[in-house]
Amino acid sequence: MKAVGARLPRYDGMGHVTGHTRFVDDVRVPGMLWAKALRSPHHHAAIVHMDTSKAAAMPGVHTIVTWEDVPLLEYGHLSGLGIPADEPLLARDVVRYKGQPIALVAADDEETASAAAAAIEIEYEERPALLDVRLAFDEDAPKIHHWGNWYPHFEEEMDVRQIRKGNIDQAFEDADKIISGVYRSSAIEQAPVETQVGLAVPEPDGRLTIYSCTQALYFSLGVVAAHLEVPLNKVKIVGGTVGGGFGGKVDTATDTVIALAAQKTGRPVKWRWTREEEFLASSTRGPWHMEIIDAVTNDGWILGRKMLTLHDSGAYARFSPYGLTKHSFHHTGAYTIPNLHFDGYVVFTNRVPSTAMRGFGVTSISFAGETHMTRVANELGMDPYEIRLKNANRVGDTSPNRIRYTDPSTVDVVKAIANAEGRDLEPALAGMTRATRSGEMLPPHLVDQLDTSEGSH
Amino acid sequence: MAKHRGKGISAIEYPTGMNQNGDPSQAWIKVKPDGRVDVFSGTADIGNGAKTIQSQIVAEAIGVPYDWVTFDNSNTDSSPVCTGTFASRATFVGGNAVLKAAKEVKLKLLEAAGKEMEISPEDLEINDGEVSVKGSPSEKMGVDEVAGAAAYGHGVLITGTGAQLKPYSEITNSATGEVDSPPHSAISYAACAVEVEVDDETGEVLVLEMTQCYDVGRAINPALVEGQIQGGAMMGLGLGVLENSYPYYPSVDHRGAQYNSYMIPSPLDMPKVKTIIIENPSADGPYGAKGIGEMANNSQPPAIASAVQDAVGIWVTEIPITPEAVLKALEAKNAGDDSVRRDGKLVSFDEELSVNTVASGLSWSA
Repeated sequence: MKAVGARLPRYDGMGHVTGHTRFVDDVRVPGMLWAKALRSPHHHAAIVHMDTSKAAAMPGVHTIVTWEDVPLLEYGHLSGLGIPADEPLLARDVVRYKGQPIALVAADDEETASAAAAAIEIEYEERPALLDVRLAFDEDAPKIHHWGNWYPHFEEEMDVRQIRKGNIDQAFEDADKIISGVYRSSAIEQAPVETQVGLAVPEPDGRLTIYSCTQALYFSLGVVAAHLEVPLNKVKIVGGTVGGGFGGKVDTATDTVIALAAQKTGRPVKWRWTREEEFLASSTRGPWHMEIIDAVTNDGWILGRKMLTLHDSGAYARFSPYGLTKHSFHHTGAYTIPNLHFDGYVVFTNRVPSTAMRGFGVTSISFAGETHMTRVANELGMDPYEIRLKNANRVGDTSPNRIRYTDPSTVDVVKAIANAEGRDLEPALAGMTRATRSGEMLPPHLVDQLDTSEGSH
Repeated sequence: MAKHRGKGISAIEYPTGMNQNGDPSQAWIKVKPDGRVDVFSGTADIGNGAKTIQSQIVAEAIGVPYDWVTFDNSNTDSSPVCTGTFASRATFVGGNAVLKAAKEVKLKLLEAAGKEMEISPEDLEINDGEVSVKGSPSEKMGVDEVAGAAAYGHGVLITGTGAQLKPYSEITNSATGEVDSPPHSAISYAACAVEVEVDDETGEVLVLEMTQCYDVGRAINPALVEGQIQGGAMMGLGLGVLENSYPYYPSVDHRGAQYNSYMIPSPLDMPKVKTIIIENPSADGPYGAKGIGEMANNSQPPAIASAVQDAVGIWVTEIPITPEAVLKALEAKNAGDDSVRRDGKLVSFDEELSVNTVASGLSWSA
């Protein structure tokens, strides 16, 4: 019996559907404390005074972890790539989004921990919030991030992600029509059934075991060890079975803070976010603002694309610079456009930080580019299948960053849909394959972008 | 007041593996004395089926039944490095790691079997848990016996390791975005067609039908990949017409804090979904597979937006396409405002949304 290609039963399916699978919150250990966080009630504020002493003295409270307890306070999601960090594990003197964690209380039970978190004395000085990426660049925009209102650390300390290819001015001059549109996507919730949750257990040998809902065990291991300034062998991440993760559980939301609480108390500490916390304080899918201007011919060729993208990162960078770069690499979608001018910015706002979510960086451009494609087809009076097939990625075409496509399937998938929809394509389109362009499908503007070498990819 | 039907399509692509690579996955495998196979991989299963897919790859590569394989991704002590389950990388990158480890295990099993059967390992093959002589299938020995002989007779540990890493793809020119090597492991493609019904009185968009085609390279498990595509369609529906964390942004009020105030699609919202799978194998994927887990929710929103336009003649270019957005656009259309400016060869839509209109800090134009 062949295993590959077979409809074999899901390895963990029976456990999941009968409720027997053990997720992080199912793990209970003796002596376990429960954690609750003090979170910012403001979108943007300075913390001018904080005193945890009364809360810490409450019966049943074992410790309160604040920024002062963290050996390395700031460690970024992209620090592993040498990119500077901007987000403190726990807020120090400023809060930049509503829900930002400031302190974590570990107590005998969740009620006591909540009461103590509420009893922490804290005084804020509210500051103006920035809540629209388009306004970030205005002179009178509130200044909300110590790096400025947009991310300044792309290669060579550039503050913009650029793609340039071909001759965009020529394309616009040669075009019969120049068609522009603006596309926007919203922040959305990850909404996993399992909320963010973690359990840190101090072991007799001095190590820490962390039961984690992480999507990336080694990433979390690295993040925890970096904040704690310990080698990787001091921490063991236990996990691998996640109750729904769409990118948000690549963020290390609970693991490091509970590790510190466990270290301080010598007791196991569990922190499980309520549904409200999951919805209001966990990272969202990032919203995107995209403006596309295409230079097109009356017979449906896209000669060039100018594009501006503003990616709403929320209050901190997290993975957003990575997401924007990925977005820029894919901003022509499933099509070959030889002349390009792309500018993209990662913009900070006082929303909950956005992070990776299913389709990261590309869901946005798929929406914008494909909606625009149909708009262009309508404007030209052209069949939406035809314009897609004509401009489709073909073998030997090159990508925005000049990489040769070796196995593009735009033609195959569009034809399959046309077929399923009962659409009769004209013979030239019906017979089209992914093979290297020639004849009518190799107009002059696509000649220079071809890569005739036989590279792999 | 009426209900109007419309159709729309989309075609999309999506990379497999982390953008710019540099994201290792590693695995190791050991064989118990009865031939049962223990796989240690760092790939978390987030509901995507990673445990199943990687186990199938191992079973296939060694030649043992699927239920002989135990998959352990439970901790960072026993499992080697895996960058994580994201970037549509679990099947391709993690799958390649276990595939390499499994191939090494197979070689060692054949070697042990050759010793037992007194025949050159090259003349042996493994199928369904049995080692047999090529061309002479009756001369055979169970993998369980071979593993027992290795442990108790030859004093050999049958194990294998596998590491998959595509080196970091450097941006060599930050002004143009040129890179020094392909910044992905593979690229997958998909297309989608939807039919919607738009109620011009309530503004509600009902998605009636979705047809989706995905090039998955190779369907390691067709049932699971269909599940990914259908689950993705559900999330794509949420993106297209329902979900918004800040429904009145830039006001940050009215955030939904529970499932009854933040709407995600339920199974009852799901239209009829038809799934077409194409297998154009990837040169480097395990058995030709590519990753499609993420892109499964990318194809629907633009197809829905185009179908709404086809139905009632309005472009809603901010998602989700809520009843309010539809009614607002219909009102503008009925008032003669089609939200487009024409000037020579320029056709300019949505200017009211542009940074040029809303803000002064960035100048932007054709």
